[in-house]
Amino acid sequence: MIQDMRLIELKGVCKQFGDTEVLHDVHLYIRKCEFITLLGPSGCGKTTLLRIIGGFDMPSSGEVLFEGKDMTGIPPYKRRINTVFQKYALFSHLNVFDNIAFGLNLKTPEQLGVHSKKEMKEEIARRVNRMLKLVKMEGYEKRSVNALSGGQQQRIAIARALVNEPEVLLLDEPLGALDLKLRKEMQLELKAMQQQLGITFIYVTHDQEEALTMSDTIAVMNGGRIQQIGDPKGIYDEPKNAFVADFIGESNIIPGVMLKDDLVLFSNTEFQCVDEGFDQNAPVDVVVRPEDIMLVGEDVGMLTGVVESVIFKGVHYEMIIISGDYKWKVQSTTMQPVGTRVGMTIVPYNIHIMHRTEMDHVPYNERVNPDKGEEARP
Amino acid sequence: MKRSWYAAPYALWMLLFAVVPLLFVCWYAFTTPEGHFTLANFQEFSKPRYLGIILRSLKLALYCTALCLVIGYPTAWFLAGRGFNNAQSLVVLILLPMWMNLLLRTYAMMTLLDDNGVLNAALQAIGLGPIKVIGTEGAVLMGLVYNYLPFMVLPIYTVLKKMDYSVIEAAEDLGCNPLRVMTRVVIPLSVPGIVSGVTMVFMPAVTSFAISTLLSSGKLRLAGDLIDYIFNQSSNPNRWNIGSSFSLMMLVLILISIGFLRKVDPDSEGGGMW
Repeated sequence: MIQDMRLIELKGVCKQFGDTEVLHDVHLYIRKCEFITLLGPSGCGKTTLLRIIGGFDMPSSGEVLFEGKDMTGIPPYKRRINTVFQKYALFSHLNVFDNIAFGLNLKTPEQLGVHSKKEMKEEIARRVNRMLKLVKMEGYEKRSVNALSGGQQQRIAIARALVNEPEVLLLDEPLGALDLKLRKEMQLELKAMQQQLGITFIYVTHDQEEALTMSDTIAVMNGGRIQQIGDPKGIYDEPKNAFVADFIGESNIIPGVMLKDDLVLFSNTEFQCVDEGFDQNAPVDVVVRPEDIMLVGEDVGMLTGVVESVIFKGVHYEMIIISGDYKWKVQSTTMQPVGTRVGMTIVPYNIHIMHRTEMDHVPYNERVNPDKGEEARP
Repeated sequence: MKRSWYAAPYALWMLLFAVVPLLFVCWYAFTTPEGHFTLANFQEFSKPRYLGIILRSLKLALYCTALCLVIGYPTAWFLAGRGFNNAQSLVVLILLPMWMNLLLRTYAMMTLLDDNGVLNAALQAIGLGPIKVIGTEGAVLMGLVYNYLPFMVLPIYTVLKKMDYSVIEAAEDLGCNPLRVMTRVVIPLSVPGIVSGVTMVFMPAVTSFAISTLLSSGKLRLAGDLIDYIFNQSSNPNRWNIGSSFSLMMLVLILISIGFLRKVDPDSEGGGMW
């Protein structure tokens, strides 16, 4: 399905608003028919990047290429791109049918492949009805958009954009206002639509689970820079830095030292790992996912600790375990009561080593303050 | 004490000075000076000289409303724009004249438009004048527009300011050039503001009092002046009755306008002040 063709290419895109730098030297290419997600916390520049692709904002410097042609200065209405806006932005003076038909009504009969005004009207009705079917909103043509629920408005917004058969669909946190269950349904539906229509989707969200569910490619952004681009599994399993590790899924991030290939020291313990090519004694950040820590008997664990708190999360329990200097987050289907001394083991391929990031704030695991640590020992 | 009692002073005031006089107006309108029921007072409308004044009132009020819309809409659009962050102070500047008494403003207008006034001096200086302004319908129209323009700008500004900017972006996104963004989205969405503005200009303009008399040197009367004139006709024994029937007609006109406004803009989105 995915052809290796660069539909959109961003080259060194920077954007400043006044003195604030919102985007810093962004390089990114988007392939035809790809579902790419720009993922990051609020203020990371993801929406600005989307708006630059849509033509609503101009980059301060850098180039945006569409099929190799520079798009700078081309207004939104001349781009073969359509957008689903965060708050839907439906036209409240028009009914459902006229909202969806809005873009088609602006075209000439020739652009729709017909010859007369009358044929055009029929063609528009045909296309609108096809879209209503796609978004499962048949029978709502005459309704006022103000009378629809959030989820229904969302479907109309998607239909209104897709009916124009754009090359690219931009979606700016389109599911943000929906409740969890509806959001999950819509995620799957959107993904299905994208595959059915073969349109490139550029999707902006701060919800990492949403990104993992839907995307072919994820670009994780923070502080106006792209931190990592890759497929969901790659980003989850091999985060490039502490920010990505922390933002995608839950992580224990501990500072460590790479003693030699396949051997790392952290939490005052040596661990076998599968990472090579680091300098000897290089400072590193170590990532261990909470579900990858196995709880074992106190005497056989690689680390030992005391359960500080337990939260039931549905499928599993989430425990905070104090071991040495750090609080570890552990997920397990079996519960250990608070105060229990437990052992923890981590198999080598679940230890992920990253170069130490030069960030202001590395989201290391919370350190146990020495006094409290003493108290925790009986 | 029930909360509604706190409004008692206001209710009493309104009862004495609005409700009771209104009942008197109704009484007079439907009776002869001797106190017999009649509809003859309303027939006075059909007299050509009265009808002429009513028609002139309607005509000038329509022109005034149209001019206010043409001048006011672009102003409101500019003030509500995103790139413009001094909007608040400019809105105040537009409102400022409204806080001044209407008669004062109209007297100022008289001085400006006078044969020897600022306007004619300026026209003379560039070799275009002097021209006769004061005493013409043009002068009356200028006075009306000047007085009622803020009532057009404000409700439209309110609606445009509240409009979600992403709606405009959505229109661009779907293929609207800037002109089509206006005609297909912005103007249709600001209809409540337009209706509110039109009503708020048209109603006081059609019933306006004194502006026309002052700016036309007493030559051109409008409906409001007509009522005043009739009440002061000392030779006419029916003057209270006819004047009351005319007043009542004006009131009905206003009620119809309000009904229309409510229908088009039921939630007062246009920030209606009536």
